[in-house]
Amino acid sequence: MRDALFMGRMTASATHELQNILATIRESSGLMDDLLAMSSEGFAHAERFKKGLGVLAEQVERGMILTEQLNFCAHAPEKSPAGADVNESVRALVGLSRRSAARKKTSLVLAPGRAGLRTSLRAVEVMDAVGAALEAALDVLPIGTQLMLSVEEQGGLGVVRLDGPGYETLQQAKGWNALVALAKTLGIGLCAGPGGMGLVLSLPRPAA
Amino acid sequence: MNAKDWKILLVDDEREFITTLAERLELRGIPARVAFDGESALEAIAAEEPHVVILDVLMPGIKGLEVLERVKRTNPLVQVLLLTGHGSTRDGIEGMRLGAYDYMMKPLNIDTLIEKMESAIDYAKKAAALPGKSDG
Repeated sequence: MRDALFMGRMTASATHELQNILATIRESSGLMDDLLAMSSEGFAHAERFKKGLGVLAEQVERGMILTEQLNFCAHAPEKSPAGADVNESVRALVGLSRRSAARKKTSLVLAPGRAGLRTSLRAVEVMDAVGAALEAALDVLPIGTQLMLSVEEQGGLGVVRLDGPGYETLQQAKGWNALVALAKTLGIGLCAGPGGMGLVLSLPRPAA
Repeated sequence: MNAKDWKILLVDDEREFITTLAERLELRGIPARVAFDGESALEAIAAEEPHVVILDVLMPGIKGLEVLERVKRTNPLVQVLLLTGHGSTRDGIEGMRLGAYDYMMKPLNIDTLIEKMESAIDYAKKAAALPGKSDG
């Protein structure tokens, strides 16, 4: 726990620096864009230049999303009296897991979730459990598929649903036993989704 | 008030970022001065009474929120827009409680920044017209 908090502080500090770097790149490319707009008629490579600035702007946006998710991750081990925001935790996890999913040519889609839904767990615990479920699903899903995740409320509980492989197939996944053990430790319920497809994780309710 | 008459002070220890931002504002006809730390920001505010201060919350030395508190004590009509990161949004909210006009997340969108500066200046003009507010 202590080491997780330490790494979190280090990561949070680094994401702050990364934001400053992105802010500087955005202003510098913005300045080039401003100057180009003032003098494009006399500049033979204006179109190519604009294209390059467009790429810079896109990459800054991409970096901003990643640093936001990484910053969330950095604070995830901290205990919050209100409990973790389920949607935010799953959103950060999905954002940071896209690359490992892409290695199996699987795209992750997060459905618009129920905002403000909380659990007594810490964000890192929500991410750990959903991440283990994600790994199990990726292990048995055919290459080149899409995996949809959603955050819902069911009977007052925060629920994370993975629509994808059949529940019985999931139980054959490499990480299934580890997921079951982790869920038990954290007080998370595991069951099949509608029609025996996918997996539903029912998170413990926040302390009153 | 015309944008060329605005008095803007930009404060951040990220020198490249803040000087480039000043340059971009000046290209849009908005004069902007820069300070790279809390101490020189407070000196500039005392000397020039800017309409709006764009202030980073995380700086070495005097932190942004401390600068804000001091400004609000000495020059209450100076409007402060805080610059925060993802990890410092709580500072932004705390800053609003201490009297900041608003806060913005880095990296900035310059058009949004200019809109917020204009709205802060309008707010300061209205506040200055209220009885008992003679400064600013």
